[in-house]
Amino acid sequence: MRLFTLTLLAVWGTATHAATDFSVDAETGLASWQTETDGIQVRLTQISPDQARAFYQARGFSAADAERYASECVFMTVVRNIGDMPIRHRLADWRYVAAGQPRAIRSKADWERLWKQQGVTESARIAFTWAQFPTVQTFEPGDWNQGMTTYSMPRGGQFDLHFAWHADGKLHRGTLEQVRCADEHP
Amino acid sequence: MNIRSRMTGAALAMLLLLAPWTRALAADLPPLSHSLTTQPPRPAPTLRLKDLGGTAHDLAQLKGRVVLVNFWATWCPPCRREMPSMERLSQALKGEAFSVLAVDVGEDGDTIDAFTSQFDTAPSFPILLDTRSKVMQAWKVAGLPTTFLIDRQGRIVASAIGGREFDHSEMVEAIRGLLKK
Repeated sequence: MRLFTLTLLAVWGTATHAATDFSVDAETGLASWQTETDGIQVRLTQISPDQARAFYQARGFSAADAERYASECVFMTVVRNIGDMPIRHRLADWRYVAAGQPRAIRSKADWERLWKQQGVTESARIAFTWAQFPTVQTFEPGDWNQGMTTYSMPRGGQFDLHFAWHADGKLHRGTLEQVRCADEHP
Repeated sequence: MNIRSRMTGAALAMLLLLAPWTRALAADLPPLSHSLTTQPPRPAPTLRLKDLGGTAHDLAQLKGRVVLVNFWATWCPPCRREMPSMERLSQALKGEAFSVLAVDVGEDGDTIDAFTSQFDTAPSFPILLDTRSKVMQAWKVAGLPTTFLIDRQGRIVASAIGGREFDHSEMVEAIRGLLKK
């Protein structure tokens, strides 16, 4: 696993470099980071802790369980195929790097195990599952999808997201730079 | 006020509470596109579910018609954005051998009612309840919204992942093409 991570990071150094665009929603104060490279568009938009709490409590999570999720750094993640051939992503290939330490994004399966241990109801777990960004998905040209991804980072913490996807029989890579977790009150 | 209307009121209050959340997420989304990915025809999986009023619907009973099957949920911003265009499409093809089935995942009727009551025109097509997401899994849907186009023989012939403008002229043309086959 460690070797795989180091290998990924080594080859990311040679990945095509595309600029990261940054914007802030004037109404919500929430920030977005977006990049476009080699036929893919990737965007992360902050979800505030209050938004995460409200969303999951409305789906049947207890206040304590919603708080557990909201304690993570949560982003709405959008991937769009802007090229002319199918692309396929595997979230397990993505890494976020803070203070030089690469980490994998917590999987839906990991969350599911936690929610089962906590006794979260099935209907709440179903809503949770479909609200997360898909673990694996193929996008035809024009297709796009969105979902939440979580990062074990403190409020206001900063990281680079290294994403990866397959297209035309090759593995491609890109980076969103200097992404910042939402504050408690943006 | 009966129990159902009280519950719908509560669900509407919850939707209003969440409005800033959905607005924040919708504001940043890519524009709705109008592409459909054609596929080699394959039999559609079973789709047999009840609608909001408790009436059972079976895709197999719709053979001979072109059917748009849309998987969605009220909390999914692109699903919310594309739904009015699905109603416009349905109206544009009214009287033709065309049906829309909107399959909601994991929500109850009151939550859906609270959402659709915000529309100027309520959806005229059936909204089916896949409460335990078993049908979505059988259809191998990985994310919401996902849409399939079913031909008159009951085969999946095209799909779309992500929000679409369903009444775009190219979409209507593609469906009319299937209606002629």
